[in-house]
Amino acid sequence: MLAKKIPIAVCFLFGLFGLAQYFSPHPAAVSAYSTVLDWVQIIFAFTLLVGVVSLLQIHLGRVSRREKFWGYSIVTIVGVLVMAFFGFAGGTGRGTAFMWMFDNMQVPIQSTVFALLAFFVATAAYRGFRLRNIEAGILLAAAIIIMLGRVPVGEMISARIPEAAEWILNVPSMSAKRAVLIGIGLGSITTALRVILGIERSYLGRN
Amino acid sequence: MDLSRIDRRIIYLVIAVAVAVPLLIKVPLPVSVGPEVRKVFGEIDGLPARKFIMMSFDFEASSMAEIQPVAEALIRHAFEKDLRIVGLALFSEGTAIGYNIISALADEYGKSYGEDFIYLGFRPQYVSAILGMGERIDQVYPLDYLNNDWTDFSSFSDVNNYRDISLVVSIADGSLPTYWVEYAGSRYGQKIAAGITAVMATSYYPYTASGQLVGFVGGLKGAAEYESLLGYVGSGHRGMLAQSSGHLAIIALVVLANIAALRKKK
Repeated sequence: MLAKKIPIAVCFLFGLFGLAQYFSPHPAAVSAYSTVLDWVQIIFAFTLLVGVVSLLQIHLGRVSRREKFWGYSIVTIVGVLVMAFFGFAGGTGRGTAFMWMFDNMQVPIQSTVFALLAFFVATAAYRGFRLRNIEAGILLAAAIIIMLGRVPVGEMISARIPEAAEWILNVPSMSAKRAVLIGIGLGSITTALRVILGIERSYLGRN
Repeated sequence: MDLSRIDRRIIYLVIAVAVAVPLLIKVPLPVSVGPEVRKVFGEIDGLPARKFIMMSFDFEASSMAEIQPVAEALIRHAFEKDLRIVGLALFSEGTAIGYNIISALADEYGKSYGEDFIYLGFRPQYVSAILGMGERIDQVYPLDYLNNDWTDFSSFSDVNNYRDISLVVSIADGSLPTYWVEYAGSRYGQKIAAGITAVMATSYYPYTASGQLVGFVGGLKGAAEYESLLGYVGSGHRGMLAQSSGHLAIIALVVLANIAALRKKK
């Protein structure tokens, strides 16, 4: 029973403190607030360590059990250990082995994976943007105007195209975005209050 | 051949050619400057020399091709205006990238570490880092990226918290500028600008319209616009032809698919 009550009480107290200190410029409140922020940073730094240990555990397990694609797990483990070794041994500044690997291995690999998006977007647009009804037609027209309006060639075709693109982004798109943001804001306040008051307890786990 | 069902490998080839070939051709296209970029430029341009500007490198290696020209344009402007840069990163991958970009440009402009710029490095948990810097920056970052006690640098010893920073620029490929607006902007009244990927730009129009964000430099196009204002041709400009032809290729494919589908119906 205490295993549930103590975390709820801690959450309630810290939640209340977080709310109260916002309105108090008193030095004691500011000092306590700074201390809490330091704690958060320290706790989070340890979660990074937990993440690395967990990653190694999972992949070492896959290798030892010879699961499907276990070779990729070896690449992951070697990658983590080699980068960590060179980072600790030689630092991460310019001209170090760590930076050389980062620039010549990690950046090209990640950029390549990210660049694949262009191909998927192109095929998705080709297959998905069909003039099936009026709504789809409006979406199709808006997409074409934005695509043309966001590159210089659009302006070369007509100065009206970037203006139309700017209007779409500043009026219909922004209206929808604002509605979503207001919804998120209200949802966040509700969830925060539910957590502080102990109504929302999913962070405690199932049992 | 059914043009409404082209093999995806042909589409891949069309896109590859449309993007790669123009990168080999150096034809600078004229770029008109949008209001969002102009606002950021105006804000930085209006700062008196030796003021402090904070640049946060909140992006990952995957978006470097798009975001580096944005970062370079903003840093060039700050150095040209003789502003002092406080660099940092709230994404671990951005740490080394940010340091390298600032250092390379500092060499080019003859700026020195500790005098014209410092680099604080990475701190985890961005919300508490942003909030913490509103109280005391040296409490969040007691040492800089090179393990110096940065408060020993006389040029930067006056920097205590956001009150001493004229503008924060979050160069990001995700939602980090939102956190800067919500925590540094709302709570401490800090002015925030953003350098972002093009795909994220739509998310920041409401913040710019409300004044919570000074403005933003969005993607390669934004970088090219900023380069135009600074009067140089950088990688933003060089990417415009590739981006234009890529967009045209996608539009052509969509139009082709629709015409073919309509013909099929008849």
